[in-house]
Amino acid sequence: MNHDQRSHCCGPVKRRDFMKLGLAGFGSLTWPGLLKLKAENAQKSGSEKTAVIMVWLHGGLSHMDTYDPKPDIGSEYRGPFDVIDTNVPGVQITELLPHHARIADKFNIVRSMYHRSADHPAGTMNLLSGDFEARGRVKPKFPDWMSVASYMRSQAEGQRTNPLPNYIGVCHPQEYIGPAYLGNAYLPFGVEGDLTQQKFEVPNVGLSDVAEAARLGDRVALRQSLDLLERRFDRAMELQAVDEFEAQAMTLLTNPQTRDAFDLSQEDPATRDRYGRNQWGQQLLMSRRLIEAGVDIVTSALVGPLCGRVANWDDHAVNHHIFNGLRFRSEPYDQAVTALIEDIYERGLDQRVLVVVTGEFGRTPKIEYDRSTGPGNASAPTGVIQPGRDHWPRAFSNLWAGGGMRTGQVIGATDRRGEDVIERGCKAGDFLATIYQHLGIDYSHVMIEDFNGRPTAIVDDGKAIPELARVS
Amino acid sequence: MKSFFGGCVFLILFWAEVPFVACRADDLPERLTFINDIAPILTKASCNSGGCHAKAGQGQNGFRLSLFGFDPDEDYEHIVKEGRGRRVSPAAPEQSLLLLKGTNSIPHGGGKRFDTDSVHHQRIVEWIRRGMPYGLETDAKLVSIDVQPQQIAMPPNGSQQLQVSAHYSDGQVRNVTELSSFESNDKSMAEAEESGLIRARTLPGNFAIMVRYQGLVSVYNAYVPLGADVGTLPEPKNFVDELVFANLKRIGIPPSPTCDDATFLRRASLDIAGKLPTVEETQKFLNDTNPGKRDQLVETLLRSPGYADYFANKWSSLLKNRRDEKNDKRSNFAFHSWLRDGILENKPYDQLVKELLVATGDVAGNPAVAWYKRVKQPDRQLEDVAQLFLGVRMQCAQCHHHPFERWSQQDYYGFSAFFTRIGREPTSIVGEDVIFHRRGIATAENRKTRLQVKPTPLGDEELVIAPDDDPRLVLANWMSNPENPFFAHAFVNRYWKHFFKRGLVDPEDDFRDTNPPSNPELLNALAQHFIDSGFDMKSVVRVIVQSQTYQFGSNPNDDNLADVQNYSRYYPRHLTAEVYLDSINQLAGTVTEFIDLPIGTHAVSLPDNSYNADTHFLTVFGRPDSSSVCECERVDSSSLAQSLHLLNSQEIRKKLATDGSRADVLSRNKKTDRERVQELYLTAFSREPNEAELQIAEAYLTKPRLDAKGTALDPQKAKRMALEDLIWALVNTKEFTFNH
Repeated sequence: MNHDQRSHCCGPVKRRDFMKLGLAGFGSLTWPGLLKLKAENAQKSGSEKTAVIMVWLHGGLSHMDTYDPKPDIGSEYRGPFDVIDTNVPGVQITELLPHHARIADKFNIVRSMYHRSADHPAGTMNLLSGDFEARGRVKPKFPDWMSVASYMRSQAEGQRTNPLPNYIGVCHPQEYIGPAYLGNAYLPFGVEGDLTQQKFEVPNVGLSDVAEAARLGDRVALRQSLDLLERRFDRAMELQAVDEFEAQAMTLLTNPQTRDAFDLSQEDPATRDRYGRNQWGQQLLMSRRLIEAGVDIVTSALVGPLCGRVANWDDHAVNHHIFNGLRFRSEPYDQAVTALIEDIYERGLDQRVLVVVTGEFGRTPKIEYDRSTGPGNASAPTGVIQPGRDHWPRAFSNLWAGGGMRTGQVIGATDRRGEDVIERGCKAGDFLATIYQHLGIDYSHVMIEDFNGRPTAIVDDGKAIPELARVS
Repeated sequence: MKSFFGGCVFLILFWAEVPFVACRADDLPERLTFINDIAPILTKASCNSGGCHAKAGQGQNGFRLSLFGFDPDEDYEHIVKEGRGRRVSPAAPEQSLLLLKGTNSIPHGGGKRFDTDSVHHQRIVEWIRRGMPYGLETDAKLVSIDVQPQQIAMPPNGSQQLQVSAHYSDGQVRNVTELSSFESNDKSMAEAEESGLIRARTLPGNFAIMVRYQGLVSVYNAYVPLGADVGTLPEPKNFVDELVFANLKRIGIPPSPTCDDATFLRRASLDIAGKLPTVEETQKFLNDTNPGKRDQLVETLLRSPGYADYFANKWSSLLKNRRDEKNDKRSNFAFHSWLRDGILENKPYDQLVKELLVATGDVAGNPAVAWYKRVKQPDRQLEDVAQLFLGVRMQCAQCHHHPFERWSQQDYYGFSAFFTRIGREPTSIVGEDVIFHRRGIATAENRKTRLQVKPTPLGDEELVIAPDDDPRLVLANWMSNPENPFFAHAFVNRYWKHFFKRGLVDPEDDFRDTNPPSNPELLNALAQHFIDSGFDMKSVVRVIVQSQTYQFGSNPNDDNLADVQNYSRYYPRHLTAEVYLDSINQLAGTVTEFIDLPIGTHAVSLPDNSYNADTHFLTVFGRPDSSSVCECERVDSSSLAQSLHLLNSQEIRKKLATDGSRADVLSRNKKTDRERVQELYLTAFSREPNEAELQIAEAYLTKPRLDAKGTALDPQKAKRMALEDLIWALVNTKEFTFNH
């Protein structure tokens, strides 16, 4: 009897190892053609895999004071900043971001983002995982787009040839995001710490201590020689997967080339200066570096002391004097973000890499006043009244660059006071769809089973924003 | 049992004599109605699938259909009447938007669903031409469908064309194969094509093809025989063996030989008590000459506290014993203790479930009420109860008829009605409520029909419950009734999966007519055994672990390598996070400290999920967060993060280098290297090392070590470091990390 056991996809079909399109084994909740749809087909294969860098403005960027200024309205709304022209005729942004103005032809501003989730967890879960009912959740119910993309790419790839993980978070805390029912294997690899340090080292990457590395090598070699367990029982290739991950881990830990990907000291000092010799500049430089080394998804949160006292963009009057806060952080922000965008283009990464800069919502157009809850950078002493803006999901802005798209556009518009979207509204689903489209993921049809076996769409209601589509 | 849909599997012996209408391309039925003729096309062409026009919410691009056509009234409304009837053109039927889109003659996000010269197209055109009749009350109604042939053996790589017949109330029988949908319950074993052609693969075993037509479902059962000579099977110890062996003989899969004592000892200890045997236990067992020692071991393990810990751990997570806020600590600890104590004293399962469901009072007096703290709404309560204790996933039926099963929304809301008289009063402790029965008639609103429905046990009649009676008690009694078809089956299946890695029904909590057990006789026998024992959980463990089947080795022979369903060998699996951590500690002679718990507490005894955050090991190795009633929340696959953690985490490095650890102690005592290696192997694997292993290990232990400057290290230090390395290596071998 000739049983060729290797001829088919085989083994118990694990819930996570096989992208299912239906309840356990019963697949066709979508059309029959999709019955056979595996992740490989869902991703358009080019010679180079596309990638995304997301710059996350945790807390919510004030659209009124940055990318969607309203210079002609009353001072209760407008804020103290002037507008300046950009190098795109007719497009004006805040005076706080002169570098942005200089290269506006290299990015797009979407001014018409909106959704209905007004607190940080809900706003983040809505925008990043499409959960429009997220209110009151402590942990995300649906996986964020980064873990979905990491999962889809892992399925498509088979054996990973690049030792770097495909999803890396550079100083990006896992707050309100996460892989949910995809499982912890799709959490990002984390790069944390002070990247401005000369001797910055990522834990788990590149053991610098030669003796340590040698000992690790000894241990692994000893293990391999003792590991005699008969592998033939492993129909599901589980053992093989363990070995592959161990090999990948060893490479990360001991291979000098992998270390280099994380080694900013190998960058030209002029480049490091250009991004800005501060945490944010070096974070975004690290992000670019990792993308170049073949990582698929990099996210980086611009938070911490550079934001001001409260360490994020959540500029309620009780937290910060919003305008001092924006002044405080505008320089490192302006410099780092534009350096990243310019760098992407200069290094020819703009076709492959999509850059998106966003927060979870905007901020109230009408300026609010309240007492500061503590002194510090960009915040008056306790009890002193200062201006602020609260959460405003009804309208907000974000930035897009690279991805082979036409740039220099402003997409959508808000009303006179920046309160509501009046033109080309873009929902959270559209945001996600645009990113998935860039990654070659068939967002309107891919479904992944949750813990109950219910096939769940990765984009519930959304279409890729056509103005941000690849043109080349 | 009442059943909403008539889908069943019949053997029609005289079908040749029943009037039979075959539909060919140019042969249209006399009466074309929406309900009998057009609606099936929408399902077959997948227009009304969950990813397309039946998407939750607004459908797709403004056109909404009910999922798989469960609501033909609505669908008719949307197709014929909505938007001033823009989707159909009675004057020029071929120009109807419905058809232009369906054939992709104009741009259609869903592509081409059928050709312009297809039967489907022709039928829809004719229907529009005839004025788009919906169907009359007096029309023949669809009563049932059946699939031919019945259960057969399909050779590997063989194929079989199925025939589906639809039976109508006027006696008519139609061949509806072309319009039926087919789906395999195990794609690794067989695939079904759109035409109803089934193709078997090469994996041996049982599978089922679900057949769907117009809201009815039917099942085709088949098996792929291996046909190998099963050889001499061991003497069956109990009914488990008899029924497993019967299946093995039918399929023709020879089992692996019985595992040796060391393997059995380690395997049973891990599966029953969640821990490795100690060296003393190992030596005692291996040296015991009593022929009944394996059975005795099972009894010993069942009496051990490890059994209570390990199974309380399982249930605690499924019962969502989760710490969301600091205050939860009190109720979580109390709830976990209640569970563990109940398992330790071997409380009957039905009593445990009753105590949980009917829990009344506050956490201090009755810790079981803590479940109501986590699961607050009737919808969540019914879903959790159904999935955990009945093995039925009801979630889908909340918004539409369950796509693959018989449950309707009426069933869903009827079941939820049991939970509508639960009263809550806050206590002085934030988050903890007093739970009690609120006097009143229990009813729930069916959100689709807007009518009230009284408590309805699944598959049974609506009940009228007096206002003073707690409907939860009625529910608990219905569940523990020996006639209940779900309660015992769900439990034994879950425990079967615990010991065998794959449930007789898989996933273990997804019982459906369309997902039949791979060995129905065995499942029924186990369930009956459980009921007869008075729901004694230990009796299930006993009959499983004492069987020959459980004791097959994990090494495959040439024939059973492909078997993943028939239990011809033990399917190895990775140790769970808690057990792995405890085992590492046991080998390394270390402990992990857990907040608020005494030093030396095992990970398997942890009362809730909060420890995952502090002990990264647990998160990385997939300990569940207690958010779901599905055991699938526990991650059992490997990952890069796991490898990195083992190789280079602070936690592991420090653990191995701890003073007073086994490596430290061994390096100081007077044992020979050989004895040291033996001790390690006995602890890790419950067996002696063989010559090859001794050679490699001893060589490593005697290798000279140099420090950074190149001078030789102090021999005791060198020995200790070498032992640490050896322990690390053993902890990372597959033999250690897997239960095999």
